[in-house]
Amino acid sequence: MSFLADMDSLVAYLLPLAPHLILIITALIVPAIGFKSGKAAAFFSLGAGLFAIAVTAYMMYTGYKGDFEGLYMFNDFTALMIMLFLVVFCLVVLMSISDSERTKHHGEYFAILAIATVGMMLVCAAEEMISLFVGLELANIMSFALVAFKKNDPRSAEAAVKYLITSGLSTALFLYGMSLMYGFTGTIVINDIIYSLATQEITWAYAVAVTTLIAGSAFKISLIPFHAWVPDVYEGAPTPITTFLAVGAKKMGFIVFFKLFLLMFVVVHFLSAAAGEVAEIHQLQWVFALLAAGTMTVGNIVAISQNNIKRMLAYSSIAQGGYILIVLSVGTDYSMAGGLLHMITHVFMKGGAFVVVAALAARGLGESIDDYKGLAKRAPLVAFAMMLFMFSLAGIPPLAGFYSKFVLFSSAVEGGTWIWLVAVAVVNSAISLYYYARVVKAMYVDKGSTTERFRVPVSFKIALAVCAIAVIVIGIYPGPVMELCEMASFEYINGFLEWLKSSPYV
Amino acid sequence: MEFIQFTWLIPLIPLLAFVIVGLFGGKFKNGLGSVAILSAIAAFVLSAIVSYEYFTGDLFAAGLAYIPEPIEWIAFGTYTLNFGIYVDSLTCVMMLFSSFISMLIFVYSIGYMGGEGKRKRRYYAEIALFLAGMLGLIVSSNYLEMFIFWEIMGVCSYLLIGFWSFKHPDGDEASVKAASAAKKAFLVTRLGDVCFMTGLFVLLWAFGSLDFTAMFDDPVGSLVNGNGTTIMIGTLLLFGGVIGKSAQFPLQDWLPDAMAGPTTVSALIHAATMVKAGVYLVARSYPLFVQNAEMMLIVAVIGGVTAFIAASMALNNMNLKRVLAYSTISQLGYMIMALGAGGYMIATEMAHGAADIDGAVGYTAGVFHMMNHAFFKALLFMCAGSVIHAVGTEDMRRMGGLGKKMKITSWTMLIGCLSIAGFPFFSGFWSKDMIMEAVMEPAVAGAASVFLFLFVLALITAFMTAFYMFRLWFMTFAGKPKDEKLHCHGESPVSMTLPLVILSVFAALSGFLMFFWLNDIITFNVIGGAFVVGGHGHEGMDILHEILYNQWTYVSLALSLFGILLAYLMYAKKAIDPARLNAGGNTRIYRALTARYYFPQLYDEIALRLGYDVAKGVDYADRNLIDGTVNGISNAMMGSSGMLRKLHSGHVQDYVAYMAVGVLAVFFVFYILIMTGGF
Repeated sequence: MSFLADMDSLVAYLLPLAPHLILIITALIVPAIGFKSGKAAAFFSLGAGLFAIAVTAYMMYTGYKGDFEGLYMFNDFTALMIMLFLVVFCLVVLMSISDSERTKHHGEYFAILAIATVGMMLVCAAEEMISLFVGLELANIMSFALVAFKKNDPRSAEAAVKYLITSGLSTALFLYGMSLMYGFTGTIVINDIIYSLATQEITWAYAVAVTTLIAGSAFKISLIPFHAWVPDVYEGAPTPITTFLAVGAKKMGFIVFFKLFLLMFVVVHFLSAAAGEVAEIHQLQWVFALLAAGTMTVGNIVAISQNNIKRMLAYSSIAQGGYILIVLSVGTDYSMAGGLLHMITHVFMKGGAFVVVAALAARGLGESIDDYKGLAKRAPLVAFAMMLFMFSLAGIPPLAGFYSKFVLFSSAVEGGTWIWLVAVAVVNSAISLYYYARVVKAMYVDKGSTTERFRVPVSFKIALAVCAIAVIVIGIYPGPVMELCEMASFEYINGFLEWLKSSPYV
Repeated sequence: MEFIQFTWLIPLIPLLAFVIVGLFGGKFKNGLGSVAILSAIAAFVLSAIVSYEYFTGDLFAAGLAYIPEPIEWIAFGTYTLNFGIYVDSLTCVMMLFSSFISMLIFVYSIGYMGGEGKRKRRYYAEIALFLAGMLGLIVSSNYLEMFIFWEIMGVCSYLLIGFWSFKHPDGDEASVKAASAAKKAFLVTRLGDVCFMTGLFVLLWAFGSLDFTAMFDDPVGSLVNGNGTTIMIGTLLLFGGVIGKSAQFPLQDWLPDAMAGPTTVSALIHAATMVKAGVYLVARSYPLFVQNAEMMLIVAVIGGVTAFIAASMALNNMNLKRVLAYSTISQLGYMIMALGAGGYMIATEMAHGAADIDGAVGYTAGVFHMMNHAFFKALLFMCAGSVIHAVGTEDMRRMGGLGKKMKITSWTMLIGCLSIAGFPFFSGFWSKDMIMEAVMEPAVAGAASVFLFLFVLALITAFMTAFYMFRLWFMTFAGKPKDEKLHCHGESPVSMTLPLVILSVFAALSGFLMFFWLNDIITFNVIGGAFVVGGHGHEGMDILHEILYNQWTYVSLALSLFGILLAYLMYAKKAIDPARLNAGGNTRIYRALTARYYFPQLYDEIALRLGYDVAKGVDYADRNLIDGTVNGISNAMMGSSGMLRKLHSGHVQDYVAYMAVGVLAVFFVFYILIMTGGF
């Protein structure tokens, strides 16, 4: 009896980390399977990923909220983000099943991938700076290995080294910021840090700490001017891993931003509202606005002149990061909901585009946009899906990308301060159409050198179908997903405000 | 049973046809064209029933729109975005003529696209989606919904204009042209779409909603934020969308190039859908546009200038379809100008505090002309298609004498030409003279001398229109064949000529509708400070009286007749040699016209310089300049420590230094902001 009771309490104790544990166990088992067969390892990882999604969804559905030792928590926001990372994980696994770029070490590959995903999931759940940092580093270090996985391609190794060095610098910066922060707040609990960030007088040290924290995370999101590594690494890494970095790891940086700075603006506005004052725009909001405007503009403009499709997508994902950063300058729960929605749709449209690239690369097609000429004849369905993704990224209704952009931009309209930023963003999405349309033109309009049909592996077909359906369904009926995002952001911010009200600070 | 409840089915039927044809069309020999045609017929029949119910119902009598409870599509923050239906008399007129003409064009396609084989599936699927986009736009109850359908049409037009990009019947060069034309149409109209979308955000901010009901019922009082200036900016941006979509100056250039698509697509774009969407947007947004007289002045001037320059470019063009394309732009300019003039009158009267304004001639004239133009332009394009189908070229210099071989086509086309030239009692005559009157009204009232200028432009345009249309007709059908090698297959099949005959009846007679039916429908009034669409029109006899007793009617008529006569003398009688007038095509103005006033060159320059070159420049800077600067700093910082350098041959040390500079930049921006207390 007591054993069962112990089991019950153990389960209750570990429940906040259930999705993480599933993947950790997977990572422990997968190498063994990998010895036998790479395919089996892949399917096992896929199954585990899907199971973890189901568990998370169920926990979210039942309204479960929990906390592990004050280190990690589980609520609607973390659940949504964990599911996002798990979807990315499953997508990457699907893409890796028939990946010809990887020749051996199948088991390790999937294990490392699982651990990297765990790292990202820990970042979502972290409640204090050290556990956050552990998550970040876990994801980072695993990514180095993954980027270098194309053993026969020197570009892959080169990319890994570049990634390692630049990432090392960003980690150092982040750690520096963290320790400074600890120096003048005396705490590592994020909620307390946010409060003191929001209320403290701004000093040199404060500015340095904030700047380094921003720079450390900006590296992940590849904001201008922290983007230089992106094109090289995205081009050199195996395509599934590029996908992983572009649609997964990138989001980690946003989560850090949400956790620290978005809540900080919320506190600032809450306190001034409580004091009966009109909320002023915090200086950092301007910094983020400038970063956002710069990032989207440079990303889009440089993307125009790219001829390699992976580099083009790399710059385009830099630009997409700029759009999401609008959330930080607006700093409301609605904008956060818009940002979350765009993060989700971005997974499917950008992920989908990379799936197409990987699927065609698996059949020997090059990575130059010219190689895509006449694709509509050679692989009609793949070309159609690519067209959907391109148009969705460009924000053409009624696809998912249009909708999430619309919500994101319109949340910035409220209040009136950031209308200029919206204008910049809209002009930018118009510019972006040029290079997205270029791909569509190559596929549908230009004549290819051959009309030989492509046979795309089944696993890619499934991944493509999932992404294409998501892009269409979210575009036509965004209601449910939008509600999830609203619920997550509302709960996140309100939960924090409630903590604040019950805390000794107020 | 109330059919009006099922208005939402009108766009949905063609949409379903798109799905069915798209999915299963490949399995059938004719690409399931019949499904597309049936869907257009069904959409038209339903539109007719809905319109009948609306016009005989209480709502119309009370001057209200039919607005069922919209479906809440999504709510976020304080905004709710709906998907709803908005039926008023403008909606009814629009959907009636759009679906009717599309129906005829679809039928016509059976003959015209008969030889396309397997690609018929794509064709029929796309035109069905195109129609769904247009009908959806017409019945939308808010701007966002409208924008979505607007964009669907944009993508469809891209695909349809580029339809022959794989294998153009005229060879490879034409294929490339088709591809680049498609891209141009897409990108240029997209420029307008950006304005439209920015306008949406401005209006959303100003009103807190994008629903027509919320915005139109009380366009100033309900403002959440902002003021008259905000509305002005918002409407100006919306009008930017119109300029793109309806090919107004200075974005008119894509429409002639869009001729690279199949002729049926041109007919669809020019007559029933796409370009009409822009004019519709202005008419629909009248309650917002008339808030500001300057805004309406801008609209009118853009319209007038467009009408003039497009007509002048048609004067010496040798391509059958391109002449028609220029004439479309010119006629669209007329419509926009009329709407602007009418709105200007309302705006100034409202500024003087008038609570009741009885109708705006400009509004009636603009919408009326849009309808008439739909009939005669569809007719003209389908006639041109019939000719091209028969002789296989679009070059008018090689045609001539086709009238004897293609009796039905030549006679129906003559009706179309008479109508567009404003020959008395054909439909174009009535609406064009109403436009003249509308433009004259503010000019006579001394409201703005600008309108006098516009009126002169409109008069000259009327002359040019008559001239180039008859030049086209005489060059094609009159005289003797000019090119012996050109083989004419003779008259086109019944599926093509039948729509021509039906349309020619409308092109000839639709103008008379104004005197006993449309006069009470296409109106825009201000009653007790509220805007009312439909009802309270002038008596038919009054309109007739006004047109027939206005001396300017006879001036424009005389100019039109002179244009026709001149064309006859130059191209049929050969009494005047055109070469003598333009020094064999060497005068400066002739060359400027052929080069379309150098607009395409200008665009290319701008696009290349500003677009691609800037992109390359930024890329270069991104790779070299910044890196170089950073290099210098990093060298200074790291001194001779070559450890990082030796690690790898790439630029990784630059990247790291790059980041270091980034950190400094962020820090200084932040610090400056702190010192100055924000912007």
